[in-house]
Amino acid sequence: MKLLFRKILTSPVVTEPGAPPPDPGVELLGSAIHDEVRKRFGRSLHIREVDPGSCNGCELEIGGLNGPYYDLERFGLQFVASPRHADCLLVTGPVTRNMADPLKRTYDATPDPKIVIAVGDCAKDCGIFAGGYGVVGPVSAVIPVDVVVSGCPPSPRSILAAILRALQARSPEPAH
Amino acid sequence: MLRCFTASLIFFAGGACGALVFARDDSLCRKVTHGLALGGTVLILIVGVAGLQGQPLDLLLPGILPAGGGLALGLDRLSAFFLLIIAVGAIPSTFYAIGYTRHYKGKQSGLGFMLNIFIPAMMLVAMSRNVLTFLVFWEAMSLTSYFLVMTDSDQAETCGAGWLYLVMTHGGLACLVVGFLAMSQAAGSFTMSDWVHAGAGPDARVRNLAFVTMAAGFLSKAGAIPFHIWLPRAHPAAPSHVSAMMSGVMIKLGIYGLIRIGFGWLGQGPGWWGVLILAVGAVSALLGVLYALIDSDLKRLLAYSSVENIGIILLGVGAGLLFRSYGLGALAALALVAALYHCLNHAAFKGLLFLGAGSVLHATGTRNMEAMGGLLRRMPQTGAYFLVGSLAITAMPPFNGFISEWLTFQSLLLSFRVQAQFFNLVFALCIAALALTAGLSAACFVRAFGIAFLALPRGEAVESAHESHWTMLTSMGFLAAACLTLGIAPALVLRPLSSTVNDFIGERPDLAFNWSGIAASNGFAAIDPFWVAMILSLLMLAVWIGLHAMRANFGRRYYETWGCGRAVQTAAFEYTAAAFANPFRRVFAFLYRSVEETEIEAHPESRFFVKTITYRHQSRTIIEDSVYAPIGAVVRRLAAKARTVQSGNVHSYLLYILLALLTLLLFAR
Repeated sequence: MKLLFRKILTSPVVTEPGAPPPDPGVELLGSAIHDEVRKRFGRSLHIREVDPGSCNGCELEIGGLNGPYYDLERFGLQFVASPRHADCLLVTGPVTRNMADPLKRTYDATPDPKIVIAVGDCAKDCGIFAGGYGVVGPVSAVIPVDVVVSGCPPSPRSILAAILRALQARSPEPAH
Repeated sequence: MLRCFTASLIFFAGGACGALVFARDDSLCRKVTHGLALGGTVLILIVGVAGLQGQPLDLLLPGILPAGGGLALGLDRLSAFFLLIIAVGAIPSTFYAIGYTRHYKGKQSGLGFMLNIFIPAMMLVAMSRNVLTFLVFWEAMSLTSYFLVMTDSDQAETCGAGWLYLVMTHGGLACLVVGFLAMSQAAGSFTMSDWVHAGAGPDARVRNLAFVTMAAGFLSKAGAIPFHIWLPRAHPAAPSHVSAMMSGVMIKLGIYGLIRIGFGWLGQGPGWWGVLILAVGAVSALLGVLYALIDSDLKRLLAYSSVENIGIILLGVGAGLLFRSYGLGALAALALVAALYHCLNHAAFKGLLFLGAGSVLHATGTRNMEAMGGLLRRMPQTGAYFLVGSLAITAMPPFNGFISEWLTFQSLLLSFRVQAQFFNLVFALCIAALALTAGLSAACFVRAFGIAFLALPRGEAVESAHESHWTMLTSMGFLAAACLTLGIAPALVLRPLSSTVNDFIGERPDLAFNWSGIAASNGFAAIDPFWVAMILSLLMLAVWIGLHAMRANFGRRYYETWGCGRAVQTAAFEYTAAAFANPFRRVFAFLYRSVEETEIEAHPESRFFVKTITYRHQSRTIIEDSVYAPIGAVVRRLAAKARTVQSGNVHSYLLYILLALLTLLLFAR
């Protein structure tokens, strides 16, 4: 007990100072996505992240989307644990031999309407892994892709922009 | 009335003789014996319905059993109600047996003969009016059911089950004999209704002794904890239509006896009679469902669930006894109505479930749920009926279990009218136990139906499963219809039942009802089962219409179950019965005291490549460990000592004879 109180009294403040005010561009992007999602998917967009062979660089940036700075849940976007719940697939990295079939199955298991976004240079054209013996090809070689995001890795903001582009690219009628 | 009764007996006698005459021809024997038994049970139904309307039947044949004052039979409303229960359980079971027993080659004669004695013996137990008549038919019922359990006597498991049943039932009989003789001696009469006249009767000590011993006897037949151990062994071993009758009907005669002693033969008792029965009921309900929850043998699961339902019935009976000792006649009547209603309901849905389990066993050849799965696609009708039974037993409206459990709850909740804090506490604990039981039984039957009927087949036997014979399906359909009718139109049963309890409590239950609804105790609680059913079905319709109105997407796409992208999915990936029960096994670990073993066999090259994983668990029951195992050990030790008497030496045997003779000469002057 004494130890506890001493610890409380003597410890300095360990939290960091507050983050700088959020980028207004992100806010704009987010609210635009929010409006598009309302029009096309009812309320929210559920995202399933698929990694068929990424180096995890893109995953770090996608993880950043979930952090307090971007906080994409406030725009009605959510990461889910199963393609059965998802409206959107974020696919990263080159598609490796072992993961080609699971990726195809994931795509098939996602209910319509669905959008597929290939995130990062590797997903676009295999990047530095092009021609590797274990690589089948870019994402578009396995499943149809709606939007491609360039960058190694792409910034969270460009991923958000890609989601917006994918939403806008879909037919303007509401989901049925 | 008498003609109907006699005709029913003649039918059964004909069936029993037919079994002997046509012993050579299996097919003919099967149809004749079960057909005649069916005729007899239909007549029992007619006698029961007539008896419920108040037609009496009294029969005294002094020539038969002269030592006990003749063969005395009578029919009042309570007996008639149990006749109804017998009929509800036995009519579908006998009809079912016509199709079900096809594969019992060479056993038809014995099966049919015993069945044709078993059913009338149960009827006559409910109609017996003096001690000897009662005991004779009680024993006939026990022995024939023993032989029915032993149908597959070529299996060691069956022999063990039969032996245990025989021991337990005769232990119960011994208790009954003690009670019956104590009361007969004290009251000076072998006729039970003469034991207690208004105000006068044997003193309290004799009545208390008689109550405890006879309650033990009846509870051992009813399968209440701690006398339940024969049930989970005998029910799986017996042919399914016999299990349905034993579980649906025969154990109810234990309840019949208990109601008779508690509310009639022994007069009014002290409050602790009720507390005793309530405690047994609460423990049976809770432990019964907990054991049912983890068992993976479908029929044993149903047997444990019978223990649970007997517990629920006993809660009603116990509450009735306690209310009566406090002079709350109307509440006692309500509690008893709840208990009796649940007896009838249990006969319907447990009969249905056992017959369903029988169909599954017939089709797949296994009782192990871990080997089933995917049966709904292969036997859709059986699956649908099993689902109805599961819904009814878990007290889901609009089925019948809901009504009787609701009534039991109301009668327990109304216990605040008893002005005694200790008893109020007892009631509060019983309410909690009943609520927990209801929840756990839902989990239990979600597991039973889900594991057995849904998903993919887990074994080869299931893949070739076939839908049952039409007689089996018809019988199950009859019981499913009964479950629904009793759940939608409770007035059908409540009207005769309230006259029934009025006959021996002297007050009508604190219950108002009309064709659709029931209200307990002047608006304390009310429910409208008919409209509940209507609203439930309308809601389903409304959801469907609403979805169309919202232009919901009804497009279907058939695709494999999501398995995280695995290339190969087999039945081994499915949820198993053991896995479903595992959270409960963990939470109630103190009760199950299960022993778990996990063996992982790795590939010889690398321990990261697993070849096989074996998981075993075994649960023990506290009662068997702490009560029956010590008793068994003592008996075995005494038997080992007694063996020295049997030396094999002829001279010592001659000495025994001489000693016995001398003793007799000395004492029998």
